[in-house]
Amino acid sequence: MNRLTWRKMVNAVMSSVTALCALIAVVPLLFVLGLLVVKGTSSLNWAFFTKLPVPVGETGGGIANAIVGSAELLLLAALFGVPLGVAGGIYLSEFGGWGVPFVVRYAADLLVTVPSIVIGIFAYAVVVLPVGHFSALAGGFALGVMLLPIVVTNTEQFLRTVPVWLREGSLALGAGHWKTTMSVVVPAAMQGILTGILLALARVAGETAPLIFTAFNNAYWNRGLNQPVSSLPYMIWIYGISAYDDWHRQAWAAALLLLGLVLVVNVLSRLVLARRMASRRIA
Amino acid sequence: MMNRRSLVSLLGLAVCAGLVGLGSLLSPGPSNVSIAEPVPLPSVLINAAGATFPYPIYSKWFSEYHKLHPDVEFNYQSVGSGAGIRQTIDKTVDFGASDGPMNDQQLAEAKQKLGYDILHFPTVLGADVPCYNIPGVTAELKFTPESLSNIYLGKITKWNDPALTGPNPGVKLPNTDIVVVHRSDGSGTTYIWTDYLSKINPAWASKVGRNTSVNWPVGLGGKGNEGVAGLVKETPGAIGYVELIYAIQTHIPYGVVENKAGKFIKADLASVTAAATGAAANMPDDFRVSITNAPGADAYPISSFTWLLIPSHIADATKRDDIKAFLKWMLTDAQQYNEGLDYARLPKAVVAKEMTQINRVQ
Repeated sequence: MNRLTWRKMVNAVMSSVTALCALIAVVPLLFVLGLLVVKGTSSLNWAFFTKLPVPVGETGGGIANAIVGSAELLLLAALFGVPLGVAGGIYLSEFGGWGVPFVVRYAADLLVTVPSIVIGIFAYAVVVLPVGHFSALAGGFALGVMLLPIVVTNTEQFLRTVPVWLREGSLALGAGHWKTTMSVVVPAAMQGILTGILLALARVAGETAPLIFTAFNNAYWNRGLNQPVSSLPYMIWIYGISAYDDWHRQAWAAALLLLGLVLVVNVLSRLVLARRMASRRIA
Repeated sequence: MMNRRSLVSLLGLAVCAGLVGLGSLLSPGPSNVSIAEPVPLPSVLINAAGATFPYPIYSKWFSEYHKLHPDVEFNYQSVGSGAGIRQTIDKTVDFGASDGPMNDQQLAEAKQKLGYDILHFPTVLGADVPCYNIPGVTAELKFTPESLSNIYLGKITKWNDPALTGPNPGVKLPNTDIVVVHRSDGSGTTYIWTDYLSKINPAWASKVGRNTSVNWPVGLGGKGNEGVAGLVKETPGAIGYVELIYAIQTHIPYGVVENKAGKFIKADLASVTAAATGAAANMPDDFRVSITNAPGADAYPISSFTWLLIPSHIADATKRDDIKAFLKWMLTDAQQYNEGLDYARLPKAVVAKEMTQINRVQ
């Protein structure tokens, strides 16, 4: 065997090994997707989307209230976490200097790693106990707290990718610091920031733990922000650990729905980002 | 100075972001938001939380009551008796539910914190059953008080222990380890179980005692009756304890238990009702009574009442009237739904006594 064939052989073996590893790495995702489609599709019917849950052990009904509830909670989380997070990110990137941003960044990194159940307990202590009842607001607050550090970090990262010469150009033309930030830097990073927000929302959409003792759950429609509300992950949890076949089927369907929504958001945000890259190249 | 346009654009950014998030969530199907069921008129929402033991019957009742009174919604969440008691004391729910009565210390804490009493209203009767998963064994096993308590004390570790093979002569029990399953959350089902074990085994009473959660000598924890049923179903060699209806609905075999009179009794409506007859005659005024290890030849020994925990003072007049109306309906018409879910009806004497207690809710 000459040297060349040996090298070709090693090359072939190593590349197939890495290819196999890559394949194995995506297998779990494919399994999860496949399993959800197989088990969940059969229960995705009109009633599932439009009806309220039925009493324990009875078949039928749906989780319409949980679907609407999840949307409500995410909207609240966005209203709470997004303005604060984006503003915080702008401060860190554009105005902070060195000392304060270091501390804030460190705190944000820590907050990302805090287990979500702890955030749930925090929201229970600062919102539910003083107010005296569970509510959609408390759930939205808990999700917002989870959202906040992700949005701060993302916003800062994307603002930092805006080239310095853009800022310099704006300043040289006589615009102030704030004007430069709002009219030049933020618009340039806008699509990136939006992507970050979408990904953060997709991330918290699947959280159950922060909702258990904040949003609680509601067997009926939510009738106000100060009343308990149902949500998709909570229903998956409750139905999943139940002892009833029909609830198991609905849990699979709800999981499929949730995963579908998260995937849509993910793909959407990638598209937004891709457009940003394209427009950048033209500029 | 910041000009108005940038302020507006910043605000716009925030709002857009929120809306985009919501929009993308709702986008995959128009079916999400189109509400086929007309949303009824604004109504009273009453929140309650607690026991999983009676959850099947409670959710049936609340659903039926809503059909009769479309303007009232009872939102009951089965978070476990321990959490039910806690949330009642913390006043985050309108009322609670538990299968272990609140102890004196908890009642005192509630009184001190809330300024009024928490009243116990028995709702139905149920039973803890020992359920198991032994590969190759489908027979109905006979358990003695000794075998049950020693399994949970960790003294009996094999399925072919003489204490188990003795009462089950026809059954071929394997030489495999027993996997003990108990509840991980604060649970009234646990209270009933440990209350029973405390009565029949002094070693249990001194070492472990009775409570909604205890320091288990051995075993794995499952969350809720659902969780224990699930663990037992998935684990070969497992034994656990669940409310009767959970064993029936999940098709897990469950055993018969030797009662105080020395008879092996299967948990069913008649044997649970028999366990309550003694207590029905001398019900204490606060309804906190244990009927485990009850006398009577036909009494199932691990039976119990389960209670709603109703505050004696409800400030909101509408909620108060609705809760009182519900209690009356529950004690009368609603009891017809019990048998369908294998819960026993309340004895007549207890119902009459509870009817007078409803007046204490002010």
